[in-house]
Amino acid sequence: MKNVVNRRLFLGGALAALIGVAGPALRPALAHEAKCPVCKLDVVQDTDKLDNEVALKFGRKRIEYRCVSCALQDAKSFNGDLTILAPSELKGKPALLARKDGKWSVTPETAVFVGQKVTHPSCQIGYRALTTKAAFDKWTAANPDLLKDAKPLSLAQMLEVANPAK
Amino acid sequence: MTRTTLTIAALALGLGFTVHAGAAQPADPHAAHRPTPAPPQVAAARELPRPPDKLPGWLTNTKKNHIFYKRGKYNFDVYNIGPLARDLNAVAVGHALAYEDLVTGKAAGLETKTFDRINRVLKNPPKFMPDEAAISPTFVRRYGVLEQVFDWTHILHAQTVDVLASSQLTEAEKDREIERLWNYYFESVPYAVTPLPLNMDHLYSLAYSQKFRNTYPKVNGLFWGYHWLQGAMYDMLYRASPEDQKAAYAVLGEQYRKTELYRTDRPFMPMFGEVSPVFAARFPHIANAFDNLHMLHDMVNDILATEWMTRKQKEEQIKLAVWMVSAAAHRGEKPGQESADRLHDHRHFVGMPGMGMMKGMTPELMWMPEMGWMSMADCHHCSMPLWEGADAWRNPTVTADGWSMRVRCPLCARDMAVETKGRALLRIPTEDPNRVVVVISDEQGNLRTSTPGVVFLENEGSHAGCDEWSRAFTSQAAFDAYVKAHPSLTKAKALTFDEWAQREGAKPDTYTKPKGPVENPYQPHGEHGNGK
Repeated sequence: MKNVVNRRLFLGGALAALIGVAGPALRPALAHEAKCPVCKLDVVQDTDKLDNEVALKFGRKRIEYRCVSCALQDAKSFNGDLTILAPSELKGKPALLARKDGKWSVTPETAVFVGQKVTHPSCQIGYRALTTKAAFDKWTAANPDLLKDAKPLSLAQMLEVANPAK
Repeated sequence: MTRTTLTIAALALGLGFTVHAGAAQPADPHAAHRPTPAPPQVAAARELPRPPDKLPGWLTNTKKNHIFYKRGKYNFDVYNIGPLARDLNAVAVGHALAYEDLVTGKAAGLETKTFDRINRVLKNPPKFMPDEAAISPTFVRRYGVLEQVFDWTHILHAQTVDVLASSQLTEAEKDREIERLWNYYFESVPYAVTPLPLNMDHLYSLAYSQKFRNTYPKVNGLFWGYHWLQGAMYDMLYRASPEDQKAAYAVLGEQYRKTELYRTDRPFMPMFGEVSPVFAARFPHIANAFDNLHMLHDMVNDILATEWMTRKQKEEQIKLAVWMVSAAAHRGEKPGQESADRLHDHRHFVGMPGMGMMKGMTPELMWMPEMGWMSMADCHHCSMPLWEGADAWRNPTVTADGWSMRVRCPLCARDMAVETKGRALLRIPTEDPNRVVVVISDEQGNLRTSTPGVVFLENEGSHAGCDEWSRAFTSQAAFDAYVKAHPSLTKAKALTFDEWAQREGAKPDTYTKPKGPVENPYQPHGEHGNGK
C-alpha cells in the first residue's frame, strides 16, 4: 500500500512540475507503442512531419513493425492476402504493398525502395519506401553516412533483400 | 489519493511526455536486436550460500510422509478438459525423467537422448497421472524431503485446477474451496513453500545459478514450458464456463505444444503474474508459492548440473534451497517488506501482490521479453490505472503470444488483440463478478464467443474514462440499468457482440510508454540488481 501511495504522489508531483515547466512544449504521446515482432526493437513512432510506423494488415489484425524489411520478412508467416503500409517520404501517404493470391504489387507504381544493409537501430532509414526515384535521391542525400552506396530497388528486389534466397 | 486524482495525473502526463522511470538511456541501442543471451554467470562464483546454524529436523527426515488429496467432489475434474489433463500428466513424466538421468550419471545425454524420450511423452501424453517416484527412484531416495516438497505443492496445483475445472461448484464456492485447499496445504506439513513474494534476482544469482539453463538449454526450455502451462492455465479456467474452458484450451494448448515448450530464448522462468495476472492478484499467496516452487526447481537443476560441487555439497545445497523457499524460513515476515538481507526481501510489484522482484526491476516497473517495461498497475494499452483491490475482477485480460496482460476496458482488450500477431484469448468481465465473457480471436482477428445475449457499451471518448464508457453486460436489462445510473450515457446504444467485434477504437490518447533504466535488464551490461 505504501508503494501505491508513493507512486501516486510521485505521479502527481511530476505532473505538477512538468506542466508548469515544460508541458506545453512537449509533443503528446498518442500512439500505443509496441516492439517490432521481428527485430524486437521499439517501433519508431510517427512524427508531425514524417511517418515511421510500418503496419501489416491481415484480416482485422494490424501488426506494427520497425521497417519495411521486417514486415516483408514476417509476411511469410501469414497465410493469405495481406497489405503492408510502408511509410514513405510523404506524411500520411504510405506505399501500399499488397500480396494477393501470392503475388505482390505496390501502389503507387512509381515507388522505389531503399534496401541498404544497416544495423537495425537505423533500419527505418535504411529500409524504406519512397514514392518516386526523385524522392529516393533526396532521401539518400539526406542520409549520406548510411546510404551513400544505396541504389533504388524495385519491389521484387526489395523482396529479395528482405527474404534472400538461401 | 483518490483514483480520480490519479487518473487526472496520469492523463496529464500522457498529454505531454513519455514517462522515464530511470535516468539512463540504454547503453547499447543494438542490444534488443540480439537474441537474449544467457545471463552472465555471477563472478567469484564458488562461494556457496551457507546454511544457518540450526536447520529444522524435517529437512533431514527419511520417512516417506506421503499425503494424498484433500477430499472433495471436484477431485480429478481436470479431466473435464481432457487435453489439459493429459498435457499435465506428461509434465510430471518430463520432470521425473530429467531428474533421474541427472543423478544417475546420464547428464551428458540430457540434451539428446533424454530430451527425445521426454519429447516423445509430451507428444503422446499419458491418460493418467504417473507416480513420479516410480520414474525417478534414485532421485527420490537421495533427495526425499525435496521430493516431498515438490509432491505436496504439486498436489495443491492439481487440486486448485480441479476446483476451477469443476462443473458442479459455483464461482463463490470455488473461491472458498481454493482458500480451504491453501489452508490444508499450508497447515498439514512443516515443509510448505512460503506464500511471500521472494526476490527472484537473489535466488537466481547464487554461486551455482543459471548452470542448468546454460548447459542444457533445450531441457531447461521444456521445464520452463511446463511452468508456463502450470501458470497460464489458471486465468484460462478462472470464472470461465466449462464450454469456454475447453474452447480456450484449444488455443492455449496449441501455444504450449507448438511454441512454449521449445523456447530456449527466455531469460528467466515464466512468472505466475505474467501468465495469469487475474488469479495472481486474487490469490497472491498461491501465485507466490507456485513461483517459489518453480524457483526451487531451477535452483535444484542448477545444483545438480554444477560439476565443481561434491555430492555432499550438492545434498547440503539442495537442503538449503528447500529451506530458503520454505514458509518456515520466513515466519513472521510480511509481503511488501523490504530487507537488506535479500533472502528476506518480500517486495512485490505495485498492482501485483503475487509476484516478487526480478532482475533489474523496481516495484514500479516490470520488464517482459516482447513487451518491454510496464507498470503492472496500469493498462498496457491505454496506460490508465487498472481496477484494484476489491474491484480488480473488473479488469479484462488479453492472452496472446505467450503473455497475458490486464487491460482496463473491453475496447482496450479487443484492440490490443488486433495489434498482436496470432490467435488470442480475451476475458471480459461483465456487471456480474461471476460472469466473464470469453472471446477467442483467430489468426485474422475475427472474434467469436459462446456467450449468448451479451451486449456492449462503447461510447468512445478519452481513455481517461474508458472504465465507464466501455463495458460488457450479460443482458440488455443490465445495460439499461447501467445507462440509467449514468446520465452522461443516456444516448448510448447497446451493441451486439457482432457489432462490437467489428469496431476499432482510435489509438488511446492517454498512452505513455514507460522507460526503464536499461533496454533489457537481462543483457550483460544491464547488471543492476533490482534496486539493491
